[in-house]
Amino acid sequence: MALSDFFKQYPHDPLVWDEMCAPDNVRAQYQNVYEFLASIPADELNRKEELARRLFMSQGITFTVYSSGEGIEKIFPFDIIPRIITAAEWKHVELGITQRLRALNLFLKDVYHQQYILKDGIVPVDLIYSCPHFLREMQGVDVPYDIYIHIAGIDLIRDTDGTFYVLEDNLRTPSGVSYMIENREITKRIFPDLIPKNHVQPVTQYPNILLKNLMALSPRNVSAPNVVLLTPGIYNSAYFEHTTLARLMGIELVEGRDLVVENHCVYMKTTTGLQQVDVIYRRVDDDFLDPLVFNPESTLGVSGLMSAYRRGNVAIVNAIGNGVADDKAVYVYVPEMIRYYLNEEPILKNVPTLHLAKPDDQQHVMANIHKMVVKKTNESGGYGMLMGHMATDKEIEDYKREILKDPRQFIAQPVINLSSAPCYINGTLQPRRIDLRPFALCGPGGIEIVPGGLTRVALREGSLVVNSSQGGGSKDTWVLAR
Amino acid sequence: MLSRVADSLYWMSRYMERTDGILRMLRVNHYASQDDREGFTWQQVLKTFSSLDDGGITDMERNGRKVLEYMVVDRDNPSSVLNMVTKARENARSVQDNITKELWQSLNEFYHVVRDERLEYALRVDDPMTVLDSLVRQCMLYYGVADSTMFRGEGLGFMNIGKYLERAIQSSDILNVRFSDLSYDLERPADITYWKYLLLSVSGYALYLKRYRSGFEARNVVDQVLFNVDFPRSVLYSLNQLHRYLGRLKDEQNIDDYNKVDFIIGKVRSKVQYSDVQTVTRVGLHNYLKEINTDFYEIGKTLNSAYFANS
Repeated sequence: MALSDFFKQYPHDPLVWDEMCAPDNVRAQYQNVYEFLASIPADELNRKEELARRLFMSQGITFTVYSSGEGIEKIFPFDIIPRIITAAEWKHVELGITQRLRALNLFLKDVYHQQYILKDGIVPVDLIYSCPHFLREMQGVDVPYDIYIHIAGIDLIRDTDGTFYVLEDNLRTPSGVSYMIENREITKRIFPDLIPKNHVQPVTQYPNILLKNLMALSPRNVSAPNVVLLTPGIYNSAYFEHTTLARLMGIELVEGRDLVVENHCVYMKTTTGLQQVDVIYRRVDDDFLDPLVFNPESTLGVSGLMSAYRRGNVAIVNAIGNGVADDKAVYVYVPEMIRYYLNEEPILKNVPTLHLAKPDDQQHVMANIHKMVVKKTNESGGYGMLMGHMATDKEIEDYKREILKDPRQFIAQPVINLSSAPCYINGTLQPRRIDLRPFALCGPGGIEIVPGGLTRVALREGSLVVNSSQGGGSKDTWVLAR
Repeated sequence: MLSRVADSLYWMSRYMERTDGILRMLRVNHYASQDDREGFTWQQVLKTFSSLDDGGITDMERNGRKVLEYMVVDRDNPSSVLNMVTKARENARSVQDNITKELWQSLNEFYHVVRDERLEYALRVDDPMTVLDSLVRQCMLYYGVADSTMFRGEGLGFMNIGKYLERAIQSSDILNVRFSDLSYDLERPADITYWKYLLLSVSGYALYLKRYRSGFEARNVVDQVLFNVDFPRSVLYSLNQLHRYLGRLKDEQNIDDYNKVDFIIGKVRSKVQYSDVQTVTRVGLHNYLKEINTDFYEIGKTLNSAYFANS
């Protein structure tokens, strides 16, 4: 590939914001990378791609797909060209996410205590009480430092003019942060020297900040509290992430069967007997945490955990019941929450969203469904979604029937043109749509966002769906220091 | 340390030691088969190291390539190298935060090597020694990485306990394979190359030459493999190490369980320490090996109830 005539081959879509290319030049933040790519021989990028693949494989940065009784190791697709965010863009994102999280955290405290926001009519009561993730078991439970959202992965996208929008709030057990860390490690290997040359801010401090926050939550006043990471086990697709985080923080990785509750305290079973556990960073969903309170079929959790939590004998991260705040129908009200709790104007915009439970909205969506994206309010991973502009008539009819069964469960948004970034595909650079998931950490000392995040890529041409379960990949994400 | 983690480390280590043992045993038997005028049979190897029934063994015993394929890459053979390494890696995968990244990578790479289609092809078509050597090297890499990177804590303790228990079992099994061919008669003369191969398979040839000056005699080979404390693959050496690493786990919080394990290991160790080739001759090699094998089993059972019962 001769990059000298890069501009002739790289397709430009005037309706899509490209991270690297302005209509007639390369954006300043990409200048170094662009020059570097232009300076290397044509097949060098193939070799780098192969090196990246080998590194992922040998380090076991893989997830296992089990078919016919045998495990097959798969790599989460990685595109070698980094995604670059300027210092100014980052400042804006950082302020916006911090503001949003402050409001969402206040909302969770409120909705599980006095419920002022419902009484004042800002958020409809029936919306909250019809949300399956609103847990009555959490009513009146005090959590340490009133922090509910310790770890958030808020998904951002950019529209035609480059404006950032919040696509969704992930406040339960957001995943992907290990790829933020590992992608950077791989980039250091495949593009040596390029990172310092571009003044890219490091992301390696993430586990240290998280550990500091987790330790601070310990209910016992001891110098070395027992912090553990609770995983569903090796068959979970995010298992690699769980082991990585446990290793990087030096904490014990436990499964439900390693824990036991006795006299409202949580213990782990060790070779020298039971040891009390103070803080649990859980990567198990609410519903599976305690078979005595939630799903009685669950073998992933610990019986009695909820009682220990209610008494404050163990801290759980993220708090239980956060799902009520990242419900896609509650999302609509987040700008209102920001005004209500903080008396500020939202820095980051929401994507205009219609809720199918409202008759007016429903009518509008049904009439214009081919121009909309319709999603289920409580599904994630890109499941249960209808892309109106791509769907067949039959799919639309079927989906409409689904909607009418329970309109509460559906929202609709206009098709947003996600921004694009160059990806190395079949020996050429081609634009593909991307989003951005920065990871925010909230501890007693405040909210910290590691400068970086997970950039997800829709690797299929023209696709707007970046979820890994739908053929998405990822990129290393650079936030420049200046 | 979590009981589940200790259990996984122990089994990871046992599977790796077994992998190493099987590879060495295959290597030397293949080598011996190339020297055999009478028509080499793999019968004893299959009997000791696989779960094939008599019919299956008869079908395969004279086809060396087939045996190698079965013992190295066969997915349906639960004791094939491929399945051993897979199990070791599965165990490692579930305790990645308790082993070093380097150790995990060496196991993970081994896993990818042993599943590579080219390996199967090479085993069928190329020189099997080259293939087996490359796999033995992976084992050595694992040992080296474990020794030079693992922190000196409980985890390494359980790994070493698994390793030396398994090694004691492997060494007595390998004697069993060899001497069952001779109907356990230590006085019966056999081809020199035979014992040479046996010693080579456990890296004991050079030591033998230095230590025993009277040429090759079955009794000396038995002495070395069972009782020589300078030989890192002897049963007694393994038991000494086992005892030593158990000693590091002594902890007041769990003293009753510790004492139980200490007792049984100490008992078996004394039994081996205070017997010699005469003892073996008196009770018969087969009986002696059978007896200590029962003891090893007992050690495993006690460890399990003392340290891993919670898992």
